[in-house]
Amino acid sequence: MTPRLRRTAGVLAGLAPGGLWVVAGEAGTVAAAPVVQSTLISELLILFGCLFILAGAIGLLRFPDFYTRLHATTKLMTLGGLGLFGGAAVAFVGFDATSRVLLIAAFLFLTTPLSSYMIARAGYLRGLTPYREEGSVDEWQAKGDAVASLPRPVRPIPGNDPEG
Amino acid sequence: MVVNIALGCLAAAVLIALYRVLRGPSWGDRITAFDFVSVSLAALIVTLALKTGLRSFLDVALIVSILGFLGTVAFARYLLRGKVMK
Repeated sequence: MTPRLRRTAGVLAGLAPGGLWVVAGEAGTVAAAPVVQSTLISELLILFGCLFILAGAIGLLRFPDFYTRLHATTKLMTLGGLGLFGGAAVAFVGFDATSRVLLIAAFLFLTTPLSSYMIARAGYLRGLTPYREEGSVDEWQAKGDAVASLPRPVRPIPGNDPEG
Repeated sequence: MVVNIALGCLAAAVLIALYRVLRGPSWGDRITAFDFVSVSLAALIVTLALKTGLRSFLDVALIVSILGFLGTVAFARYLLRGKVMK
């Protein structure tokens, strides 16, 4: 049984916190366990995640209006963050670090779509105009009553430029 | 090394999003880019924890992502209702 396998088994059984486990070396010396164990899977996941986040930034730079930029960043941020944090969770050795990274990933996966929904709703109800093309329709405006029952804008926002 | 590539990509993403925060033609663009910056910063800090092997950075990343989400929600509620809390 190799030391790494024994450490993993101990962590899985809940017998030892991963970070504090020390392994006796070959010559009787005591060496601290490595914190990060990089594998092929973790490297591929991290590469996937950071490329998706970079693509989200390029979408934020290049898209024509507020709603399309929100669309680009939300989807790419959710998937890219999940990939990057999943890769980090694979790479970290020890239950405490892995569980913390997975906690961040779960929190981000739940809250990113929620915050983007709130931004888009606030933007629509405060009158940011979407980018229009030939044949574009506004389905929410067509419902009329549903929009009229929602809270109205309280006062104009200084520096509001709906054409942007 | 993949971690260095990831640090470069995330730093570039943060810089692009900061350009959009400063330049953004409407306030919606600024809030969107701010949300993107907070998530990218959390990812950057986790990558930094991978590079240095310091686990304390994970707590920092968790706090940054929570504060970014709360800030975005507060901005959206303020712009929609005129106040953050009832």
